[in-house]
Amino acid sequence: MELRIVLQKRFGSFDLDMDVAISHFRTGVFGPSGSGKSTLVSMIAGLERPDNGLIQLNGETLFDGSLDMPPDKRRIGIIFQHPHLFPHLSTQGNLLYGLNRCPADLRRVDFDTLVEVLQIGHLLKRGVNHLSGGEKQRVAIGRAVLSNPRLLLMDEPLSALDDTLRFQIIGYLKSVCETFSIPFIFISHSLLEMRLMADQVLNVAGGRIIGSSSAEELARQRLGSSQVGYINLLELGRSCEAGTLYAYPWGAARLLLSAGSDRDNSIAELSSKDIILFKQHPEAISARNLLQCTVRSLFSSGRKIGVELECSGNTLISEVVQDAVTELGIAPGGTVYAAVKASAFRMLPG
Amino acid sequence: MPSFSSAEYAAILLSLKVASTATLVSLPFGFGAAYLMTYCRFRGKIALDVAVNLPLTLPPVVIGYLLLILLGQKGFIGRHLLEPLGIRLIFTWKAAVIATAVVGFPLLVRSIRIGMETIDPMIIKASRTLGAGWLDAMFSVIIPLSLRGVLAGSALMFARALGEFGATIIVAGNIPGVTQTIPLAIYDYASSPDGDAMAMLLCLVSVVISVLVLLFHEYLSRRMIRVD
Amino acid sequence: MRTIISLFLVMLFALPVQAAELSISAAASLKEVINELSVSYAGKNPGVTFTKIYGGSGQLAKQVEQGAPADIFISANYEWMEYLKTRGVVDVKSVDTFAYNVLVFAGRTEQKIGGFRDVVRLARIAIGSPKSVPAGEYAMEAFRKAGLDKQLEKKLVIAKDVRECLMYAERGEVDGAFVYKTDALQLAGNSKILFTVPQDLYPRVSYPMALTASGAKKPEAAAFLAFLKTSEAKAVLMKHGFQVR
Repeated sequence: MELRIVLQKRFGSFDLDMDVAISHFRTGVFGPSGSGKSTLVSMIAGLERPDNGLIQLNGETLFDGSLDMPPDKRRIGIIFQHPHLFPHLSTQGNLLYGLNRCPADLRRVDFDTLVEVLQIGHLLKRGVNHLSGGEKQRVAIGRAVLSNPRLLLMDEPLSALDDTLRFQIIGYLKSVCETFSIPFIFISHSLLEMRLMADQVLNVAGGRIIGSSSAEELARQRLGSSQVGYINLLELGRSCEAGTLYAYPWGAARLLLSAGSDRDNSIAELSSKDIILFKQHPEAISARNLLQCTVRSLFSSGRKIGVELECSGNTLISEVVQDAVTELGIAPGGTVYAAVKASAFRMLPG
Repeated sequence: MPSFSSAEYAAILLSLKVASTATLVSLPFGFGAAYLMTYCRFRGKIALDVAVNLPLTLPPVVIGYLLLILLGQKGFIGRHLLEPLGIRLIFTWKAAVIATAVVGFPLLVRSIRIGMETIDPMIIKASRTLGAGWLDAMFSVIIPLSLRGVLAGSALMFARALGEFGATIIVAGNIPGVTQTIPLAIYDYASSPDGDAMAMLLCLVSVVISVLVLLFHEYLSRRMIRVD
Repeated sequence: MRTIISLFLVMLFALPVQAAELSISAAASLKEVINELSVSYAGKNPGVTFTKIYGGSGQLAKQVEQGAPADIFISANYEWMEYLKTRGVVDVKSVDTFAYNVLVFAGRTEQKIGGFRDVVRLARIAIGSPKSVPAGEYAMEAFRKAGLDKQLEKKLVIAKDVRECLMYAERGEVDGAFVYKTDALQLAGNSKILFTVPQDLYPRVSYPMALTASGAKKPEAAAFLAFLKTSEAKAVLMKHGFQVR
């Protein structure tokens, strides 16, 4: 997939000017509200017209000075923030809307497989007014995918959902796009969502692209400016009781958390701010997790220093101030002890 | 208690015939006008707005007279289009249909517009990205969703059409059996000293039909509001 | 301030002795002749002002019955005068005949219409409403007597009075109209009298006139009614094409 865009648009006080080529399968567009993300998506889809520029998808020109292909010909799907289902059609009617309008020879997405992946089989005959928020968004995803787009745009598809639902839908989005090999561009103002969805992220602000990096790099860059620091995402296995706490396998290591879970796999968030480093093994400490780590590297972000640690094969990022680095003599290759309270972890809803 | 003669039945049937024809004929134009006013942006849109709503504010006799001037033998359209084609409109039931359609048109457009404006524009955008061209989107999304507005507008226009008098009498005349609709028949009887009883009876018929149509319109309007 | 009030009072009481406002409700066909007669009467009797209402006699009768102001009522047939007589709205003693008229058919010049029976060949014919306009009633009577009424169904354009009939004929909206001979004098040029309706087919057109109950209380009204019977009035009538005997 190769999407080449050069776009300029001006309205009111807003001024958009972007020039980028996107070739990753899973791209993110990250930025605050009003940064131009939605406008960008509208223009790629053909719903809004740039003042001038160029849009080419896989070599085919969708827009340039003389040509403006209408959205129905571009075969680019959009999933919006709200489902916007057709109220006069049933769930099945909504799903088939795009499929019916896709030329027969271009149909690759199998209806039954999709329904199974999204788990909406039992909803097919229902009117769309009788679906819950999460169900509606799943149907909207199914509808967009069934139109067999060459590229799927997702404009903040999770912003209107609550936390539990949000991560559930992320799961559906990823599995659907993987199953049917559909490249996507995922727009969000949430760094966490970006890290879970995208490989390469375009950082957008004030109508301009101010950076392009992997999601991971972006998170690290924002360590210093973020209120929550860098959020470590730890993949944990099945927990078992350990006294009043719960023990989870984390790769080759073991963590103690105050909250239990009955899931086989889960992801826990841990802020870099909640990791305290000791030069030497402290004797008695209230924190229940004390991990021996090797310093891999240091990086600066704003006024903080991010410390990348290796811990029994896992990666952990903590943050300290420059003074601490100097005082403790923290350097790559050195050993430190990372202390984390059992209550510092936050489980991501499955 | 007087009873209806064939002339009265003719008037009632004619009223129903003229009102339904006027409504049906106006529907495509009304829908088109409402579509343009809701979804399109173009220079001179205000002119369209004013033109569509003008019959609502003009006295029906003025409309009738203007139509007479336009479509009569000496009129612009009459002289250059109708006469050469041998079409005679003035003092025929077709003129009654035209007068009624013009007078009721703003009501039709207004209702359809309200129906269209309740449609979330994002739904239409979604349909475009799913492969529907603008014509396809109109038939598969806009028309089904604005249907209630269309029906409500038709009911309102039909009710108004049943009562049309001023424009009709000027451009279609009072011809029993041909253009004498209920209001014209009532006027005829009301002008006559011993026609009061019959005039009242016809009034009653007119009121009953109008009430039924308006009840239907109310029912539809409520359903329109409930959906969103 | 005082001077203004006194001036005002002087004006009020300085009005001529014969100050009166007379309302006349008359058949539409009498418009020109009544206008002329009232102007000449007012010229000789300053202080008398006229309000004139013209229309279909039945419609006027209904209005008078319902209380519309009228001191003198002149109908184009006996029916509507009888109607008001039985309701006690007119002063029975004052009833007299004002004039007589003849029914004709006027239409556009290009047509070949020789006699009464030829009208069935036409597409549209204007008549006053038979329910309230005497000219229309006379015409319908003639159709029935000649056995043409069934054939003329759906061809008749109903007008509210003879003037409207005339207007339709003039404008060419109809092929012809049944009006009074006196109306034919109003024709501009597009249309002319095509034939006179045979008198044996309809009763003689007579214009009864009377004082209304309110008019009976005004001596000025009686005076004007008397004036309408004078030879001077008859001369004006004949000038306009009416018959006086």
